[in-house]
Amino acid sequence: MFLQNALDFLPVLLEGAVVTVKVTALSFILSSVIGLVFALMMVSNSKLIARTGYTLVNIIRGLPIIVQLFYIYFVLPDFGIQLSAFQAGVIGLGIAYSAYQAENFRAGIQAVQQGQIEAAESIGMRGAMIMRRVVLPQAFKIALPPYGNTLVMMLKDSSLVSTITVAEMTRAGQLIASSTFENMTVYTLVALLYLALSLPLSYGLRRLEARLGTRNTA
Amino acid sequence: MISIKALHKSYGSTRVLEGIDLEVNSGEVVCLIGPSGSGKSTLLRCINGLETYEGGDILVSSERVDRHARSIHTIRTEVGMVFQRFNLFPHRTALQNVMEGPVYVKKESPTAARAHAVELMEKVGLGHRLDAYPDQLSGGQQQRVAIARALAMRPKAILFDEPTSALDPELVGEVLGVMRTLAKEGMTMVVVTHEMAFAREVSDKVCFLYGGKIVEAGVPQDVFGRPAHPRTQDFLRRLLNSSEPQA
Ligand SMILES: Nc1ncnc2c1ncn2[C@@H]1O[C@H](COP(=O)(O)OP(=O)(O)OP(=O)(O)O)[C@@H](O)[C@H]1O
Ligand SMILES: [Mg+2]
Repeated sequence: MFLQNALDFLPVLLEGAVVTVKVTALSFILSSVIGLVFALMMVSNSKLIARTGYTLVNIIRGLPIIVQLFYIYFVLPDFGIQLSAFQAGVIGLGIAYSAYQAENFRAGIQAVQQGQIEAAESIGMRGAMIMRRVVLPQAFKIALPPYGNTLVMMLKDSSLVSTITVAEMTRAGQLIASSTFENMTVYTLVALLYLALSLPLSYGLRRLEARLGTRNTA
Repeated sequence: MISIKALHKSYGSTRVLEGIDLEVNSGEVVCLIGPSGSGKSTLLRCINGLETYEGGDILVSSERVDRHARSIHTIRTEVGMVFQRFNLFPHRTALQNVMEGPVYVKKESPTAARAHAVELMEKVGLGHRLDAYPDQLSGGQQQRVAIARALAMRPKAILFDEPTSALDPELVGEVLGVMRTLAKEGMTMVVVTHEMAFAREVSDKVCFLYGGKIVEAGVPQDVFGRPAHPRTQDFLRRLLNSSEPQA
């Protein structure tokens, strides 16, 4: 019975899983880019830029992700910005998570030893080049564990975009469950599919950390 | 080459340098000695603009050193620095560390920079460790790479801040050996060191710092042989007592 139902539901759920992976990947990239910009603002020598960075991060972090998603999907059209549910989901999740990414990167950047910056200065490097060639490569390695953790959290939190009708895995499950009442089968499958995505991801990240970890420090 | 006049520097209300005058001519080796906290590191860091200073002037090849001026980057390519803790870039190989400045700051062709870097690695006795990462090298080897990295910029002078104090005793000699060679070749060097035998042997001038001032300066025979200032006498006596084995 369970198996028969499972085989019936699986194709739809797998389609949803593909959307889940897409939403996660795209919003992860978006959150990394915005987060890096915020992090660079926060470590800026200019007090004004740094304060602006911290303020933006605090505002984003202070809002529930669902509220941000609703705002982008339901309110922005009033300002003439019409987005598909998928686009709104990716952008909303990307912005919401950029605050956490910013914190990851900022902590990584600030953990790079001052001596590294001085060594770079002593061979005549300037600010932007020091950041690019000396600080960021080391900061990324330091930030890798929390960065990977964020990716796993985003995979799970991508289910939140179901609230704005994106047909990802959780929403696919909801739709099947509400029409078949096979709650147990459906949600067990959904849970297993999330684990099938997140466990290998965690394992892969652990391996990557171990490989890069040896050259973390000066 | 390096000319320092009435240099004053404070950290907040702590006065660290109180009127330093120092001339370093081209090809000279000047050693700075003195007790902990006397301002030796601060003086070196001021010379290549890692620190600001409030009073006096530092001129490098007649250009005034100012941390916030555009010219500071050029000055830094002319004055190398070797740090106590090496500060090699851990994510790059030894060879890449040496090539970094020439390729990315001076925009030399990678081929030419590589050839020069290999030559320098051989010079510091590490021609066989080009592709090693810093964490695969001993402290003495890392410091020699750091010296090669400074040399790669073809500097007019190199500043050394206690280059051997972070090393195990058995590794000190290999680094001093490289520095001795540089001194013989006529490199202009300012060296903060506690290695008195080395200072005595290679320096043209020794300066004894105390409380942010150079209280005594002269040729090593004088400063070590017949120190005039009581502070210098005291410092050298303590040093001798602590390093000389009980006979
Ligand atoms: N960043 C800083 N902020 C505040 N005070 C500082 C700072 N760096 C150094 N000092 C102070 O300045 C004085 C001189 O320090 P400096 O490091 O130049 O001494 P030093 O002669 O190099 O000593 P050592 O032999 O221990 O390296 C010390 O009293 C030190 O506490
Ligand atoms: Mg010092």
